Amino acid sequence: MNVLHRPPVQGNSERVTRMRHVLVAMRGDKLALFALLIFAFYCLVALLAPLLAPYDVNSTEFMNLENAELAPAWQTGDTRFLLGTDTQGRDLLSVILHGTRLSLTIGVCAVLIQVFLGVGIGLLSGYMGGRLDAFLMRVADIQLSFSTMMVAIVVLAVFQTLFGHAAYQQLAMLMLIIVLGVAEWPIFARTVRACVFAEKEKEYIDAARILGVSKARIMLRHLLPNTVSPILVILTIQIANAIVAEAALSFLGLGMPPNQPSLGALISSGFNYLFSGAWWISVFPSVTLILMIFVMNLLGDWLRDHLNPQVTRG
Amino acid sequence: MLSFIGRRLLQAMFVLLIISFVSFMIQDKMGDPVRQMVGQSVTLEQREALQQELGLNDPMLIQYGRFLGRAIQGDLGTSYYYKEPTIDVIASRLPATLELSFAALVLVILLAIPLGVFAAIHPKNLLSRAVLLFSTLGLSVPIFIVAVFLMYFFAIEWGILPSFGRGETTSVFGLWQSGLFNRDGLRHLLLPSLSLAFVLTPIFIRLIRAEMTDVLQSDYIRYAWAKGISAPRIYFIHALKNTMLPVITVGGIQLGTLVAYTILTESIFQWPGMGLLFMDAVTRVDVPLISTYLIFVGVIFVVTNTLVDVVYSLVNPRVRIPGYS
Amino acid sequence: MLRRLLIILCLGLSSMMCLAVDLRVALDADPISLDPHEQLSEGGIQYSHAVFDPLVRWRQDGTFEPRLATSWEVQDERTLRLHLRQDVRFHSGNPLTAEDVLFTIERLKSSIDFKALFNVVQDVDKIDDYTVDIHTNHAYPLLLNILAYVFVVDKTFYEGRSEIVKFGQTFASTNVSGSGPFTVRDRVVGQRLTLVRNPDYWDTQSVGNVEQLELLPIRSDSTRLAALLTGGVDVISPVAPIDIVRVQRTPNVKLLALTGTRIVMLQMNQARRVEFQDIRVRRAMNLAVNQALIVEKILRGYGEPAGQLSSAAFLGHVSDLVPQSDLERARELMKEAGYQDGFRVTMMAPNNRYMSDERVALAASAMLAKINIQVDLKTFPKAQYFQFFDQQAADIMMLGWQSDTFDSNNIYEFVLACRDTDTGMGAYNAGRVCDRKLDDAIVLANQEMDVAQRVALLRGIEMRAVDQAWVIPLYWQPIIWASKQHVDLESVVNFLNFPYWGDLHVSVP
Repeated sequence: MNVLHRPPVQGNSERVTRMRHVLVAMRGDKLALFALLIFAFYCLVALLAPLLAPYDVNSTEFMNLENAELAPAWQTGDTRFLLGTDTQGRDLLSVILHGTRLSLTIGVCAVLIQVFLGVGIGLLSGYMGGRLDAFLMRVADIQLSFSTMMVAIVVLAVFQTLFGHAAYQQLAMLMLIIVLGVAEWPIFARTVRACVFAEKEKEYIDAARILGVSKARIMLRHLLPNTVSPILVILTIQIANAIVAEAALSFLGLGMPPNQPSLGALISSGFNYLFSGAWWISVFPSVTLILMIFVMNLLGDWLRDHLNPQVTRG
Repeated sequence: MLSFIGRRLLQAMFVLLIISFVSFMIQDKMGDPVRQMVGQSVTLEQREALQQELGLNDPMLIQYGRFLGRAIQGDLGTSYYYKEPTIDVIASRLPATLELSFAALVLVILLAIPLGVFAAIHPKNLLSRAVLLFSTLGLSVPIFIVAVFLMYFFAIEWGILPSFGRGETTSVFGLWQSGLFNRDGLRHLLLPSLSLAFVLTPIFIRLIRAEMTDVLQSDYIRYAWAKGISAPRIYFIHALKNTMLPVITVGGIQLGTLVAYTILTESIFQWPGMGLLFMDAVTRVDVPLISTYLIFVGVIFVVTNTLVDVVYSLVNPRVRIPGYS
Repeated sequence: MLRRLLIILCLGLSSMMCLAVDLRVALDADPISLDPHEQLSEGGIQYSHAVFDPLVRWRQDGTFEPRLATSWEVQDERTLRLHLRQDVRFHSGNPLTAEDVLFTIERLKSSIDFKALFNVVQDVDKIDDYTVDIHTNHAYPLLLNILAYVFVVDKTFYEGRSEIVKFGQTFASTNVSGSGPFTVRDRVVGQRLTLVRNPDYWDTQSVGNVEQLELLPIRSDSTRLAALLTGGVDVISPVAPIDIVRVQRTPNVKLLALTGTRIVMLQMNQARRVEFQDIRVRRAMNLAVNQALIVEKILRGYGEPAGQLSSAAFLGHVSDLVPQSDLERARELMKEAGYQDGFRVTMMAPNNRYMSDERVALAASAMLAKINIQVDLKTFPKAQYFQFFDQQAADIMMLGWQSDTFDSNNIYEFVLACRDTDTGMGAYNAGRVCDRKLDDAIVLANQEMDVAQRVALLRGIEMRAVDQAWVIPLYWQPIIWASKQHVDLESVVNFLNFPYWGDLHVSVP
């Protein structure tokens, strides 16, 4: 592959070339292409869940205890419920489609907040150093000591005093995104800071400084690109963590309301069924989640390998 | 160096102050501790009297002041449920958690370093592709799924290993109840530490491979090849040493993940460590114990992060940590 | 060493009861203290039955069995004479006398948890060393019910250091001298409580042969079940309904399920919502909820669908009051009331207090949605839930009430009576029901000594409550245990869920 010779020009043309390089390489790697297709499928499903789901989840008929725990269609021959039903008699396929939509939205949005906060603070902390660094990193220590749960309890309390209980159902998702976003930014911040430390002593940064390039520009144009690789490595892990953490919160009464189950909540409640023989209740949501995270991780890996300016292949 | 550590200590005190303050401010959101300790027919009046007695009705700041006053004398409070100083309660559960984390870390190191290095050295090898694929897969499976499956198969279906608790322990110097020195204790340790290792190993395999790959591309390694230094020496002395820097950093950061994972693993395997203690304390609204646990975890974070920074600059002398020279 | 000797001795005797066995029991909670008078909770009373003896105890058929009291007779309307067993020694070696009973009841009257039950006892007179007279403030039909809570403690052992402190270490919370079938060997708080058989136990007729009893708290349902299936423990309780199938599928493990008396219900707050003040709406809601379906699907057929508050074991139970569910009629009623388009309400429920509580609440909310009542359901762990319950923070609240006296009137007092912070009546009345006539009947039923008249009174209250549809009763929660086949659990577990471990016989394979 001879596309790899990057012209030594800064700016747009380089980015365009890099994107083209990614696309070309993608076509060559079947696994990555496959992962991309599945991921696109997930995104599509999340977007179109209300249209794709065989049942209307908001209908009063949707949750019918009469239908509780029916096995998948190929076991019972009952074609109404392709993947069977859950304990409340909800069509599992519809619930999973909506759960995927919820989980993906919560996970991605929360991690975006994490990245935004974490990268910003990490860059500042690493490049500025000194007191600012000490202060920001101690804030990070404090933040990490309080598990997500504690943050959730505080945010919930604030929300309750602001909006009351009745509004909870409408705001639950927003609240969760904020909670999960705020709770784990230090992971990004510390990683970025470590990268910046290693990078900022290098000659090209010194050169830029001497040439009078502004601090903001050095951070954003020179240091930031070098942090992309570790960020991508943890990004996908964090999305998975956020989705699972959301499930743990629902147990504390802090997650999504029980009548709008997310994928994580489905799995954690499904796990009680492992012993009962109603395997589909735990297996389908778990497989859905694991596959989703798996392809995200594959893509993350792959992107990391191909975006990293240091790595040259050929 | 000394002034660096001194400054860090000062900062640590500040961190702990804030942690204790925040945990104090949120405690009435966690439930009513009195309610957990009395029967259903105890009247509201009597419950209020008890709250009064515990000083729970005083303004938060006064309660906090009282707490600080005692904390300075080394008294972080008495657990409502255990009725012992919270520090003692945590100390009695600490060995279990440390042994669990230690066992998991040993497994992680034994697996992650050889596999990660191998995958970096031979990127095209089928085995290293398989290792990578499996580590990606392992990364995608939430820990409670791993733990429950391990328990289901090894304990219930096949009946090879025990499913809960710590088993027999032996006393080491009368200070430490250890499960590492007898068969029963080790058997009990296996499943929980495997679950922990299962989710931590992929992270480290990926990290080591990624960093090692970067290092192997760098100029000084090329120079080393050109100089004719032997392959093992390049891989394991020159390259691995530089790989370990980010690995240690991220390892330190992953400590938070480890704490969170021990809470889950201990709950699933009824492992009598700090994580289970914390979950129980939350259920019982044992506020003094919750606060102490948070402060304790805070101490661990500050200490490891300081250590990580020190190790960081030892391994890579080019890096200057602010305040440390 | 001593135990080995004992076993050898027993083998020599070759008597059946002597084949001593060790038993490990995993429960969802452990007693918070070794002091039997510190907390009135299921775990606490279960522990008390093992290490102490009550004056009387419940038989499985709901009658009373003499224990430390061998017999009793009514002296007058307010006095009961008790004759005490004469051959009882405490674990400390001290003999049990009337003094100990006086001391114990005095202590109960000062215990925060037991106070409410024992306030009715005016004083206790010692007649001789083995006879006491118990005087009550007024005629009290439930005196024996509360005497079942008198776990007699050793006066000489505790005197002078018998204070009960809820939040702190006391002598009594760590030191024990009871007269029960077991003594405490070792307690690691939150991890295990080890009891060993009391070799000098007075009840030599007991078939119990458990030599060492280990009680382990395991909070998670799945972990507890796994412990039984892997053989780590011999007995567990409770078993989550969804795990019942698994227990039944396992060959050497058996299930024991009883109908309990804890009534799980939904309370509709009339002070928060005008809609709930309309009896047609309340009736419609009662009709919309299908109790039988909840029990069948969520509790796997265990537990009893309820159309009233008193379980069949209680005097207030009216057998005609079966749960009704009729969606058509419910919709009609809503239309009559002018709410055919429905309304939106909030509901709260715990998620770790009662069996499958969250699932039940969700199912009930879906059933209410069918008559256009949109329910915004929120669930909390019990620690936070009961704070919200006290604040009556939602329009519909879930409550599971276990009568401490095992009598209907206790439910009425706490759940239906008008709220009164002075007397504590109506403390769990989250529906804000208030009916003065009903209150009078409740007070009367607490003093009526004639059984037939008392039954009539209680049933009157029950029927009025159902007629007014003040609450939505759901079901009586089942008591579910599981054990290895050779444990004869059936003979010691009762509808109160207080197993008498001392009498447990385990056959040795």
